Amino acid sequence: MGEERRLSMVAEIIRDHIHLEGIDQYLKSTGIKESDFVPIKPADFSGRIFAVDGSNAALCGWMTARVNLIRAGYAVYRGREWQSTAITFDDLFLADPLLCQSNFDPYLEHYFGLTGIDLQESDLDRLSSYYREMQEYLAINDALDHARPGDIILYDGSFEVFEPLRAVLSVIFHRASKREVALLAVSKSSSLSWGQEITLPFVQHTALAGSQLCPDEAWCISLKDKNLAAGQGGWGGQSYVVRFCGQTSLAFRVDAPAYLSRDMEGISAILGNLADHSCSAECMGYPHALFRAHRDIRITEQEATGARERLWARLLEMGIAMGQIRMLMLDYHDILEMKSRF
Amino acid sequence: MDGERIRDPPSERAGLLERRVMEKGETTYRIVSKNVSEYHFIVPYDLSEEERAEVGQIFSVRDGSLTYLARVLNIEHSSNYDGHWDTTIKGTNFFDSDQIFNLVIAEPLGCVDEAGEFRKSRTLPTKFSAVKRAERDQFRFLSQVMGDIEVGYLRNGTRLVEEIPVALHSEAMDHHMGVFATTGMGKSNFMKVFAASCMRLAVRGESKFGLLIVDPHGEYLKGKAAIKGLVHLQRYRDGLACYSTDRQNAADPGVEELAIAESEIFPEDIALLYEWSPPQRDALDAISRIFDPGSWLEEIKTGEGMGRMMQEGFKDSTVSVLVRRIKNELERNKYVKKRSSLANILANLKRGKVVLVDIPRMADRSELFLLSVISRYILDEYKREEDESRKNCFITIEEAQRVLGAGSNTARFESIAREGRKFGVGLCAITQQPKLIDKQLLSQFNTLVVMGLGDRNDRNQLEESAKQDLSSMDIEIQTLEKGEAVISTLNIPFPVPARIHRYEDYLRRLEKEPSDKSIPKGGFKPFLE
Repeated sequence: MGEERRLSMVAEIIRDHIHLEGIDQYLKSTGIKESDFVPIKPADFSGRIFAVDGSNAALCGWMTARVNLIRAGYAVYRGREWQSTAITFDDLFLADPLLCQSNFDPYLEHYFGLTGIDLQESDLDRLSSYYREMQEYLAINDALDHARPGDIILYDGSFEVFEPLRAVLSVIFHRASKREVALLAVSKSSSLSWGQEITLPFVQHTALAGSQLCPDEAWCISLKDKNLAAGQGGWGGQSYVVRFCGQTSLAFRVDAPAYLSRDMEGISAILGNLADHSCSAECMGYPHALFRAHRDIRITEQEATGARERLWARLLEMGIAMGQIRMLMLDYHDILEMKSRF
Repeated sequence: MDGERIRDPPSERAGLLERRVMEKGETTYRIVSKNVSEYHFIVPYDLSEEERAEVGQIFSVRDGSLTYLARVLNIEHSSNYDGHWDTTIKGTNFFDSDQIFNLVIAEPLGCVDEAGEFRKSRTLPTKFSAVKRAERDQFRFLSQVMGDIEVGYLRNGTRLVEEIPVALHSEAMDHHMGVFATTGMGKSNFMKVFAASCMRLAVRGESKFGLLIVDPHGEYLKGKAAIKGLVHLQRYRDGLACYSTDRQNAADPGVEELAIAESEIFPEDIALLYEWSPPQRDALDAISRIFDPGSWLEEIKTGEGMGRMMQEGFKDSTVSVLVRRIKNELERNKYVKKRSSLANILANLKRGKVVLVDIPRMADRSELFLLSVISRYILDEYKREEDESRKNCFITIEEAQRVLGAGSNTARFESIAREGRKFGVGLCAITQQPKLIDKQLLSQFNTLVVMGLGDRNDRNQLEESAKQDLSSMDIEIQTLEKGEAVISTLNIPFPVPARIHRYEDYLRRLEKEPSDKSIPKGGFKPFLE
């Protein structure tokens, strides 16, 4: 019975964390007004939409280094029609803090004119994530090379990035601005929160509030000067919550660099173009190009397994016995969990 | 993914970014799987009506120097998305038509090499080989394996493949043929087209068999209303000999009144018509021993004849039933006379002509009786004579389940089916219900013309008996439309989908045909309306 009571208690806590009972408290606490929800009018778009994404799969690792398969690229649409998908990086990455410089610097120098960044303190998982992010930024950079003024580039994620890579984004924003290309980041998951006593999910609650205040409409809301925990900030732009399609209840965090966010009308027009691009039945309410990019670029479990097996085969060819591989790469948790990675 | 490469600083590689681009293009119409006996390929899901893939359609797969041919067995909805995504989505806008497609399941027919030779395939096309609807050129090899009796054009799905005629081999006809279709699917039209082609061959001196058609419906001779008959094919009228029990029809020039002499009727012909008790059966069997074979019909009807039967130990009642039934048959079949057309019919068959026996409005039993007499006569004559110059003979039987059915009194026709081939006599069984035909007999049929069978038991019966595998064509056979057929025959490497010519169109085409005898097989221009 004690256990049941405990479960009920936790369920209540969860309910308090996720449930939005009326929107008054939300509006009052966040400082958001009804008029902040700006309807978006879907509009035909004849330009191109580039959607950038990346994928990362761990192949193997030992205590001091990891090998990951990393892929990055972008899908290109003209309006609603897919044109192509470019893979800009598809390779193995050895995450070793001592090799960081040689892995990151050439790219950073060559493409962004930046001198090396210090990642030696980062853990192995972080290193792989940074590398994947860098490859995604390189994909954005490549998309920028191919984009024309008026085109839109979407990035799957947020521009609220780790400090070490902020300089890269800054260069990208500058280039995008110069080329008159709209660059936006659309985030499927966001840690933005509101509330004083407990941490409440901001994007989801904004979506619920928007559904009540602007039913059946696409809308956006600027988060400028709103009362919420908005991460570290300082990345050089403005965040929004956007519902791209009135037929769904889902909303997403959208980040726009300052060169775009300064012009609210301009942003509305771009979001209108994206609303028209987000009514596909495959992913209602989400920009279709990002959906396609995700599917084209993702590394599937089968791919990762195949790559892992080929890697083992090479090691065996080099005279390293399977037993040795097992011993060197053993994660003792696997023994405890009675799992086998080999 | 070279193990060495990941240690190299990227700056030392050939290029920091190795872009790989997938452009929009032909991402469908490609073999995606599966094995030597089943190919899977994908086609766009939203093709126009004209472009849609259909069951029965033949696609070609070009792979190096080989062109594989595969027939569509089934088509399924499919996509690159997992699970039931398409039953939970909202809205109707689909942006990525290349991600949603139809999966086509096809059965390999074989492959054609660069020399145009067809052979069965023991391997499979390279994965992602391009697939396209087979066209005339891919079917060209079929022209070389077709026979001389044209019946239609090759059909690819519902489309006609012009200039590839489907023609049966004369040589295969003594291996028997079955024509199977439900009512209204075009059996009679098929038989008239078949007969017209035989008439053509007869006139051109190229005929290899005489064709006997006994027509109880009176539709082959002159047709009905807008439907033409065989006599309307004036160009090759000399290839046709007509006999009719109908006085009016027999008055037409070129049509002889049918007559069968009493002396040509055997007790077995009567035996076929009734169910007999064992004593009655014994009495029937004894007739040929007791009476002279040439005059038994005359004699048995007399008091003296009946007395002779009773002297042999048969009861009065048994003999009375026997005689009453014989009299009934003679009364019903007015064509039983002193003179006979049989010798003439036989002569025409031996010359390779089409012999049409027109018996309109004749009762079922009388028709069977007549067919029995004629076919027995023919088989006996063909058995007896070994004249090398004579043509083979091909006997058609309408509603063949009556005489070839399991349990029916099949001895006469069964013997033709079993041993006719030795003597150059073949059977053409026409029926709506192949399931009623004796399975063993059906297995003797090497040419099957299937024109739409809705009954699963009918299809199963054919699939079990056919020399070529028809089991995979079940859906196609179910969905055949009027005039469409699947033809399985000797010398043609796979069951061929065909659209049978409409007789009236074919007739007009034959009338306009150039007289040049050197026209090659399939040399006709299509004449379609």
